[in-house]
Amino acid sequence: MNIRSLENKRFVNLACKLSIFTAAIAVGHEAVASSKLDQIQEEGVIRVGVLDDFKPFSFRDTSGNMQGISVELAKDVANTLGVEFEPVVVTSANRMQFLDQGRIDLIIAGMSDRPERREKVGIIEPSYGASGPTLMAKEGVIETWEDISGKPVCGKQGAFYNSLIEREFGTTVVAFTGNAEAKAALRAGRCIAWLYDDAGIINTLVSEDWQGYEMPVDPKYVNPWAMAVLKDELESSYGTLVTGLAYRWHASGKIQELAKEWDLQATSWIDQMHDKMKQDTSYLEY
Amino acid sequence: MFDIIAPLFLEIHKTTGLNFVTFYDPYEYGRFISGAGKSLQLMLYTLCLSLIIGVLGAQAQTSKSKMLRGGVEIYVQAFRNTPVMIQLLFFYFAIGGIGPVIDAGGYYEPLIPAFGWAVIAIGLFGGAYNVEIFRSGIEAVPASTTQAAKSLGMNKWQVFSRITLPLAFRVSFPSLGTNLISLAKTTSFAYVIAVPEVTYMLNQIWADNVNVPEMIFLLFLFYFTVITALSIFLNWLESRITIPGVGK
Amino acid sequence: MSVTLFKNKENSPLTFVKAIFERKKWLLLFIVASLVTFYAVFMIYGLNKNLEVLIAWAPFVFKGFLLNLSMSFFSMIIATILGLLLGLALISKTRAITLPSRAVMNIFRNSPWLVVLFITMYLFPFEVHIFGERYAIPGWWKATIAFSLPVMANLGEIFRGAVLSIPKSQWESADSLGFNHLQTMRYIIIPQCVKRALPSWMNWYALLTLATPMASILGVQESVSNTRAAVESAGAGPDLLFPFYLFLLALFFIYIYPIALLTRAIERNYSFKNQ
Repeated sequence: MNIRSLENKRFVNLACKLSIFTAAIAVGHEAVASSKLDQIQEEGVIRVGVLDDFKPFSFRDTSGNMQGISVELAKDVANTLGVEFEPVVVTSANRMQFLDQGRIDLIIAGMSDRPERREKVGIIEPSYGASGPTLMAKEGVIETWEDISGKPVCGKQGAFYNSLIEREFGTTVVAFTGNAEAKAALRAGRCIAWLYDDAGIINTLVSEDWQGYEMPVDPKYVNPWAMAVLKDELESSYGTLVTGLAYRWHASGKIQELAKEWDLQATSWIDQMHDKMKQDTSYLEY
Repeated sequence: MFDIIAPLFLEIHKTTGLNFVTFYDPYEYGRFISGAGKSLQLMLYTLCLSLIIGVLGAQAQTSKSKMLRGGVEIYVQAFRNTPVMIQLLFFYFAIGGIGPVIDAGGYYEPLIPAFGWAVIAIGLFGGAYNVEIFRSGIEAVPASTTQAAKSLGMNKWQVFSRITLPLAFRVSFPSLGTNLISLAKTTSFAYVIAVPEVTYMLNQIWADNVNVPEMIFLLFLFYFTVITALSIFLNWLESRITIPGVGK
Repeated sequence: MSVTLFKNKENSPLTFVKAIFERKKWLLLFIVASLVTFYAVFMIYGLNKNLEVLIAWAPFVFKGFLLNLSMSFFSMIIATILGLLLGLALISKTRAITLPSRAVMNIFRNSPWLVVLFITMYLFPFEVHIFGERYAIPGWWKATIAFSLPVMANLGEIFRGAVLSIPKSQWESADSLGFNHLQTMRYIIIPQCVKRALPSWMNWYALLTLATPMASILGVQESVSNTRAAVESAGAGPDLLFPFYLFLLALFFIYIYPIALLTRAIERNYSFKNQ
């Protein structure tokens, strides 16, 4: 037995294993016959993509478990389906990818409803929350949006409004992987302000560590957040069920309750949605 | 340059759907080029800084002072045995927050920007390895040579700069080359402290345009080209300066 | 096939540990002194609040660190196996095998770890369907594979170098003693290669472990991501990142430094025996 045949044997062996593996993956990309709802219930678990640094919607406790308003909503979906809830931590940069790849079944991660996103994923209406990009800065530093022109603002990687704000005001968004770093950078003076959702900013300003900081300008606009499922699932039994839950959360006042429970400061949009969705049942008194 | 290739890539996007937006959209093109330039700058500065630190550190390790030798040893061990990414974060956030600030019109900015901290942190990281490399190179210089130089009346600094260092450099060049390549690759970590180098820029671009595979391919192509070019250059340099019979 | 590392009593593990305490006494003293200083500084400046926060979240961050270590173990195993195959492919006489192998090796040696990680996490499927069953691949598995690829390329080169560094006389004497190729490799060449390659192998394990924090960029819940989440949940107060990052650096240092020392001891031991 010379070195040649031994080498070749090993190589052929490896090639065989690789081709089986590749074939397996190729097979995996075919459509699955049973419905998504059936799949989830068979597996007994629903995987929901959530952020892990978005107080009070989804953040951690000291044992590492997820908690917050979004988490409670996700648990409600799981309970309705009769399955376990498994939180999968995502970031703004990878949540749609994870959904595409099937690593999660549902996104509840403060994702703003935008036209580009509607093209890629199935946006669930009605939305469950809303916010708009605004600034947090040291008191007295900023008076209007134009004050950030030509100055850097700290932000979070993957937020869709980063480049919009950059182009509109001629500012540079210094984007970090997480909110903790962006806020630390603001404190160190790396930027004139922190660009983030007003919900996140208001809940940061509540803490005594951030006395001396303020939210000086109004949000640029108010953009509702959406849950998302795969585009194909929007009209399926699964998508319809989630849509139904989204409606019920507003109509029954569940989101209002959760907002109170988790000390969410900005609730006007939530109150408006509740009033809109709640059915006027006064006719039942005739 | 951009005007020539823009229509081509626009065509490619329309026909195949492959979205190389960096080559047909002027704003994204600008972002990509600035990111690429920043990366190259970062590589140049960190390589130079790490070389300087390596030489100084190796020299310090031959000194008589136990404090100096101990200090260098602590520095080398601390930077070699901890992750470079966390070193970067630590320097930028923990140390960068303390220190002199300048007035940036409405707020106070630290003196050293993110790019500067990236150079410092990655340069120190690379320097720690270079100290070891240069040290073994210096040790390989035969004592007889340095003694001969001293007997000819050269002082310590002249011996070091004219005899020891050139020889040590040539002996340790292969390991040094490997480390410099590794350092050039490490500059991609500057992403975590938001230095607008090519990884960061392409990430922004693919977040905005949702063309992840194309941009990742471009990122890979950039680094592969630059590193291979650097590698070829170092190999050529090595062939020119290697002392025959020493090393491999 | 057994490989003895410390034949002499002078180099046994116990004396090795004793030697650290003697030779590196000043280093240990420095570590203790700096810990005491930090603690004193924290108390004096009333930053003990931050220390309390750190202590509360330390188990959570440590759990993430264990994931770093798991990734490094599995990744090293994969990298070693693949590296061996690559090394063998590189010394093959058939160009059809060596050329693609060299291409693979160069691709992974000339790309940053971060780019390889991006490619693996974003562009490769996360799920496999084997015989009708869906198997989900967790994110950290993909990261583990991504880390193993650059190490595989380097180990391939190291194994190739190790095999080539065995003097030709060894091959010739084995041949004259009637060993066939497979037997020569198994009984003569590979045991010696293991000893030669061991220090580099351990060095690459250390480098691999030190590279695992970058998985946090891609959303893997390891020590750096957990630190981020912890700081955020704790209110992102001023100067919170400082103790947390120090804690992380200390964790890695405590794990890696002994490995580095062991590597050097093995290197010295081996070079003494072969002079």
